[in-house]
Amino acid sequence: MSQLKPSAAPRWVADLHSPPTTKTKNPSIPDPPGYPSQAVTSSSKKREPAKATPQRTPPTPEEMDTLKLKKAWEVALGPLKNLPMTGIMMYMSGNSLQIFSIMMVFMAFKTPIMGLLATNQAFERFETETNRGKILQAKLAYILMQCVALALGVWKVNGMGLLPTTRSDWLAWEAQREPLEFAVPAL
Amino acid sequence: MRPLHLSSLLLGALSVGVHAVFQDEVGHLDYHYELLGVPQRETTFFHRPRREDKASLLYTLSDVGVLGAVHPSSGAVVWRQFLTGNITNGGGFVRASEGENWICSAFGHSVHAWDAVTGRNRFWMDFEGEVKDLEVMEMTEKERKDVLVLFDDNGATVLRRLNGNDGSVVWEFRDASKDVPLQVSTNVEKVFAVSLHGSLGSYNLKVTALDTLTGKRVDEIILGTKGEVNSEKDVTFVGANSAAPVVAWTDDSHSKLRINVLGTKNLQTFPLEADTVSVEVHAPHLIQSQPHFLVHSKTRSGHRADVYHVQLKSDAITKAYELPLLPGQGAFSTASVGANVFFTRITADELILTDSMSHGILGRWPLKTGNYPAHPLHAVSEVIKKSATEYAVRAAMVTDADDWLLVRNGELGWTRPEGMTGAVAATFAEIPKSEDLAKSLEEEAHSNPLTAYIHRVNRHFDDLQYLPDYLAAIPQRLISSILGTDITNKGDKLLRDSFGFHKLVILATRRGRVYALDAGNEGKMLWNTKAVDLAEGETWDVKAIFVDEPSNQLVIQARDGHALVDIDTGKTIEVRGSLSPVQGVAIVDGPDQSVDTLPRRWPLAIYDGGKVDSLPADLAPEGTVVVRGAEGEIKGLKYVIESDEANAYASWIFSPPKGQKIVHVAARPSHDAIASIGRVLGDRTVKYKYLNPNTLVAAAVDEAASTLTVYLLDTVSGEILSSATHEGVDTAKNIECVMAENWFLCTFFGQYTLQTDPGQSIKGYQLVVSDLYESELPNDRGPLGNAANFSSVDPIDSPTAGGPVLPSVITQSFVLGAPISALAVTQTRQGISTRQVLGYLTESHGIVGLPRQLLEPRRPVGRDPSQGEMEEGLMRYHPTVEIDPKMVVTHEREVIGVKKIITSPVVVESTSLVFAFGVDVFGTRVAPSFLFDILGKGFNKLSLIATVVGLGLGVLALAPLVRKKQINTLWQS
Repeated sequence: MSQLKPSAAPRWVADLHSPPTTKTKNPSIPDPPGYPSQAVTSSSKKREPAKATPQRTPPTPEEMDTLKLKKAWEVALGPLKNLPMTGIMMYMSGNSLQIFSIMMVFMAFKTPIMGLLATNQAFERFETETNRGKILQAKLAYILMQCVALALGVWKVNGMGLLPTTRSDWLAWEAQREPLEFAVPAL
Repeated sequence: MRPLHLSSLLLGALSVGVHAVFQDEVGHLDYHYELLGVPQRETTFFHRPRREDKASLLYTLSDVGVLGAVHPSSGAVVWRQFLTGNITNGGGFVRASEGENWICSAFGHSVHAWDAVTGRNRFWMDFEGEVKDLEVMEMTEKERKDVLVLFDDNGATVLRRLNGNDGSVVWEFRDASKDVPLQVSTNVEKVFAVSLHGSLGSYNLKVTALDTLTGKRVDEIILGTKGEVNSEKDVTFVGANSAAPVVAWTDDSHSKLRINVLGTKNLQTFPLEADTVSVEVHAPHLIQSQPHFLVHSKTRSGHRADVYHVQLKSDAITKAYELPLLPGQGAFSTASVGANVFFTRITADELILTDSMSHGILGRWPLKTGNYPAHPLHAVSEVIKKSATEYAVRAAMVTDADDWLLVRNGELGWTRPEGMTGAVAATFAEIPKSEDLAKSLEEEAHSNPLTAYIHRVNRHFDDLQYLPDYLAAIPQRLISSILGTDITNKGDKLLRDSFGFHKLVILATRRGRVYALDAGNEGKMLWNTKAVDLAEGETWDVKAIFVDEPSNQLVIQARDGHALVDIDTGKTIEVRGSLSPVQGVAIVDGPDQSVDTLPRRWPLAIYDGGKVDSLPADLAPEGTVVVRGAEGEIKGLKYVIESDEANAYASWIFSPPKGQKIVHVAARPSHDAIASIGRVLGDRTVKYKYLNPNTLVAAAVDEAASTLTVYLLDTVSGEILSSATHEGVDTAKNIECVMAENWFLCTFFGQYTLQTDPGQSIKGYQLVVSDLYESELPNDRGPLGNAANFSSVDPIDSPTAGGPVLPSVITQSFVLGAPISALAVTQTRQGISTRQVLGYLTESHGIVGLPRQLLEPRRPVGRDPSQGEMEEGLMRYHPTVEIDPKMVVTHEREVIGVKKIITSPVVVESTSLVFAFGVDVFGTRVAPSFLFDILGKGFNKLSLIATVVGLGLGVLALAPLVRKKQINTLWQS
């Protein structure tokens, strides 16, 4: 822009024209279009493929689909990779009711459920008109994996004795047997 | 359900371990009336326990058999001895000797001496025959004082002189002639044994003079009584240890008094005031006192006294002076200072002191006993000569309100409510709602919703007048709440509290009095009243006290009738006799009565032999009434409506097998809340409790075989649900059972042969606990399955059913470290708290609370508990249950003579009120599973508030700093 006479312009003008990049506190919320950060990242993103493109021919749509499918399967099987870790942590935390194990259990339920709710968002990027059928398989696998993770949580909860599966859990709802006759002792 | 397990495990583990009463809760949680019983006229006196010390103590042997010493200045008990361990009905003898540090008592067959300061036993001698009189020999040939005891040994008169140091017999005099031994008396040279001689109905007095050294008969004098003495009671007085002991009696019409100086044949007759009802003779007990005595004659409207002197040389009796007739009741007492004898006269409003020599009044004090309404019955007094003309008198008197009062120169020193001893029945009662509120609530309930609403708004508007007072009281309440002090209830009005600790305890004694105590306010006495008038020697045998809440009345059913007492004021509303003796009371649900919409509960009197009245058809109770029959059998009575009358017929009778006798019957308490219908086991399965409200436990003994059989009966069908026989039981000792929820326990003394080693046996007080379950298997509800209700009769009536549904019983025996009696089980509002078995420790004079977890029949025997069992809170079985001092709810207090313990639930679930009566009156609160719903006294509210305030201040101080920092980060980043 007008940087021909930098000495002439005061510092604040320069600051006004190129404000500091603010650190986004929450990465999940995208900055609005036209926001400086957006402009910078988009430009930097564009720059990288721009460097690569001269060497490679752009992928065909089929190749893109395969690539996207591969990525989608990676996402779908993602929860499975976490399972051994979660399982070990659950095993280590024990079956007693403590703040740590309660948080573990909470996370063990929260992550799969949130994942299930966000199934479509997770695969949105990879979905095209042509690979929809194949993506569906990946989605189903993803759901299955989340269910496996959920099952692990249920197993943990059961281990902690929080599932009402025994007779004693329903004891409070069982009624005392009422006698039909009454007697008054006077002894 | 894991959290529940853990918590129950924790509760279980903790409550077995720690159960002590904290020091700061003593006197706050519990209250104890340390009583002696109503002092008897002959066995009460002031005595100086130390020769060198002028301070004296007040000694008495009361009508319930407690010998004790009381501090005359404070009224506090110095020491007590419960002579027989049983509540007696009068009798007994106590003597003290001037200058000796011991006192001597006798009761029944035994003679005992006690250290006068500490109450420690000096000797205890048991003899053949019954003690008739006791006297201390002031002068002996040795440098000690001896004790003379007169016995009636199967008709023979036996007089023994016991060594005052160790109780050994110095000599014994035995007169085998069939006389009735009366009293013993002594002067310096001789011992006189006075007995009734002749045939029943016309006795003469026989005075046997004995030699003090050898006990040989010296002389025998027969005094003719001309048929005036018909029994022992007709002899008014046999003079004590004065220089010239006398014997006195009156004729049948109380018109003449005949007096004889013992050892002479001379019989003198003095006229008595007209309409004299009874005569008492008061004489000093000391040997150095002048031989003067006072004759107190009571007339119907007043009382008077005559003072007589005995001329030592001539043995003649002369009348010295008289104290004039005064209206109302009065009491006389003697006091001696050296040789001088003083007589104290206590009338309704005055204390008058006279010398025995002349009729001049030495002192006269108005009685300042406040509004105390009672009259003196008898008194003892102590006189101190301050100067030539100034005297100080303190007199301890027993009043007709069964209180023991001390007046010091007319000022009230202390009052002891000794009438609360000998209690026969007690009950908890809710504090009555104020009548206005109850009335207006009822009004609202009966009117239509709109008018009820308007009425309520109006009522609340009226209540606004109390708002300023309420607001004004808030700071004080806040402060007292923070500091942990008690909020004193202003005014006399008794109010229920939100915890439910304020309840009335109604106590009826055998003397016909009824007391009301406030259980929440350290057992403060609210009122006491004489409900019935009893003839002398009669006792009020109360069978039950029923609180009729709708009418705010107490129905006190005694053996010979019932009394209605107002619960607010204690006024007797009505006393009605019954035609035949009453043996018990059943509280039955009656149908609607005209006023109340709720079904009303009312007491149905059961007459001897298990008979009941026929009732109008509409009043007949629906259920079976379970009574004891004439031969001790248990009967179930059912009312059958015949035309317009309902008659009771026995629907079943349970007679124990021949040779067995039912000694104790226990039923589940009327309030027995069940929180859970099953027990959750360690593996999360459920053992279902057998919860049949219509059950009772009967303990029957076979004296010949020394066995105890415990029967569990169904009270509707009369079927035996379970029975167990224990061998080697001492049938003479206390056998008691108690029942609650799905378990019962019995305690007895037995010799138990070990199963593992038949050659070895354990002897001791045993406690046998039985749990009842619906089935042996977990997760099984027994033959009835999931049926919502059950009938006790159907399985027996129908031929296809397989007989009555029997519970599965698990039993375990424990050996107790000490005998217990008066068993009771704590009651809580919802039954969530574990239960405690309360029992009176008869030998260590305390009340123990045994946790149920300790007495658990399912405790694993011979192995450590498994993981699941540990989660359930089961400990390894140990045959002995030691009485841990931490389990003793009376802690350091010595509570004597407890006959019964009653419990009551309160509003908060954790706590149960306990009240024990008999001789002493004791009440406390127990929390078997700890105070999980209220803050204890130890909770530091001050530090909590300080923390909150500190945090608040910190936040206020830091807020600007933080705000500044936040803005800075925004701007600087």
